[in-house]
Amino acid sequence: MASIDDTKAQLLRGVVQDNIDVLQGVRTRPLIRRKGRLQLWFWAGSLATTVFAFSMLSSYLISRGSAPPRSDAAVSPAAAVLNIDFTPESEVPLSHPRPINREAIPLAIKTIVIDPGHGGEPGAISESGVTEKEITLDVALRLRRLLENGPFEVLLTRESDRRLSLDQRVAFANEHKADLFLSIHVNWMEPHTIRALETYYVGPTDDPATLKLATRENKDSAYALSDYKQILEKIYVDARRDESRTLAKTIQSRLFRSLKPKNPLLQNRGVKTAPFVVLIGTQMPAVLVEISSLSNEGDVELLTKMDYRENIALALLEGIRGYANGFKAFDVKGR
Amino acid sequence: MEETNETLCLGIDLGTSRSSVSASNGERHVIDSYVGWPVDMVARKLVKKPVMVGREALDNRPMLDLRRPLERGVMKDGSEKDQEAVQEILRHLISLAGIKQKGKNKARVRAVVGVPAEAFRVSRQNLRNALEGIADSVMLVSEPFAVAYGLEALLHALVIDIGAGTADFCVMQGRYPTDEDQKTLPNAGDSIDEQLMKLVRERHPEAKFSIHMIREWKENSSFVGERKDRLMVSVPIKGKETQVDITSEMRAACESILPPVSETMIALLTKVEPEFQSKVRNNVIIAGGSSLISGLPEALSKALDELGGGRATVVHDPVFAGSDGSLAIARDASTSDWEKLSL
Repeated sequence: MASIDDTKAQLLRGVVQDNIDVLQGVRTRPLIRRKGRLQLWFWAGSLATTVFAFSMLSSYLISRGSAPPRSDAAVSPAAAVLNIDFTPESEVPLSHPRPINREAIPLAIKTIVIDPGHGGEPGAISESGVTEKEITLDVALRLRRLLENGPFEVLLTRESDRRLSLDQRVAFANEHKADLFLSIHVNWMEPHTIRALETYYVGPTDDPATLKLATRENKDSAYALSDYKQILEKIYVDARRDESRTLAKTIQSRLFRSLKPKNPLLQNRGVKTAPFVVLIGTQMPAVLVEISSLSNEGDVELLTKMDYRENIALALLEGIRGYANGFKAFDVKGR
Repeated sequence: MEETNETLCLGIDLGTSRSSVSASNGERHVIDSYVGWPVDMVARKLVKKPVMVGREALDNRPMLDLRRPLERGVMKDGSEKDQEAVQEILRHLISLAGIKQKGKNKARVRAVVGVPAEAFRVSRQNLRNALEGIADSVMLVSEPFAVAYGLEALLHALVIDIGAGTADFCVMQGRYPTDEDQKTLPNAGDSIDEQLMKLVRERHPEAKFSIHMIREWKENSSFVGERKDRLMVSVPIKGKETQVDITSEMRAACESILPPVSETMIALLTKVEPEFQSKVRNNVIIAGGSSLISGLPEALSKALDELGGGRATVVHDPVFAGSDGSLAIARDASTSDWEKLSL
């Protein structure tokens, strides 16, 4: 057994290294999955101490409903808190994130993690029975095939119909040191006449519809409420947001440009911020794209066609390439 | 003992409610974490100081722009005045420790400052920034870790540091604690104050009292479990000084932190390697100002029955356990370590 002096020496090394990490601005450690009984108490504590944290987290960490809301009347209990005001990003008194200077830090996209939303559980289901989990996996597999023709290593969080918690998806991307994370989902929107594309990157939102969506998509989170501090820190202080925004814009524009001719009623709802767990926990530029709407039977009909899904995958490929080329340009310049 | 060299080590427990300093020259001081500036020229003339810190600031609060600049164990963010207030507290603590901060023979100050176990990276950085010009080198450590280090409870121990802003937990397993070993809860002294305020207001709506009175009642008479006598306090009701009974309110408020603290304690204990769980269960150490709540160690020991029994004890000197531990770290760190962490 180590002597007390040896133990102290080891502990001191840890203290010094920890402080050096802070000095050097090393990223915070990954969120740790918590389970079990802590959660209720942390929630209670969070509730008592910060309405802000409550309003944000309750929107995406409480809800554990299994089906997507089909109408306003069917909104999950968590949706009840959606009316709580969000502090706008600009008013949040935390440090301002600094954008990554690509010229100063030549980076390259090597590993891409694609996350087909849901699995095991269906996610959204169209009136005609098409499930979100099937569509997202199909598009992800197509996208992988397309990306593998390029210089990328492509990994999928799931390759079959299996359930994965959101933090498992996050951990997968972080453990594989992905350079880019793309989560694919299919929306469910009210009214059902809407056909829309949306791409999200991490950030707060005061849009009730977005919060509702985040609540739904976050329902499989295994993060405990005890992680709220790190979560909030990540949302507001993470310089990675700038890169995620760029990625989201590129993907959204390519996707809309590519699909609009085949789906004339498609609306471009643009790039938005939302506190999706998969975007918060990942340590690389990360976006969540809602490629279509299962609430609209016109969209559903298109989604059932192989060539439309292939088009979606191609558009996502273009978006990723467009983003990666930005890095490549600087990489070359930097050498 | 007189300090013969120019380097002084400091351990600082910068608390939401109270801050303490332990210095290598033997000085130890504790102050209330309040700072106040005179609100106008008249106040300035009356208080005769540009700034007041600690109890003095509290006592003169009607004339001051009073700040309690620490929130949940870290600097409040976004307010320059609060950051300035934290610097005033730090300067004050250092001056109390008898350290010369200016002039030719200015001492070299190496400070270890305790922060909540799960403090934000930005909060740590802000604190480092606040210490610029005050200390020469700084290390930030988690508060319960500092307590454990000071007590040499480095193996098979669980330290629970319950302050005003946070309750911090740290399992010591002979290595530098990871995120898994540490936890911070917002259920601590301040949440008791809020609860007590609410309960007393509900029961005695006509009584007039302030948060400072609530804190004083709590600091004098907090308890969990049974109490033999009634807890009576004096408050003005319609201008008349009146004795009111707050026994049940005090108990309910103090006991409000028991479930989360117990649950977190148990959750951390169950993560310890099975063969060592019994040892850790029997070595639960409570520190921090809120550890002085009467009956708290017994209540936490009772909570351990769920796991087969255990023992929670309060440190000998809760007020200085954090700063003493930080000082021990400051002393043990090598010069090369300190050089890496210069400000």
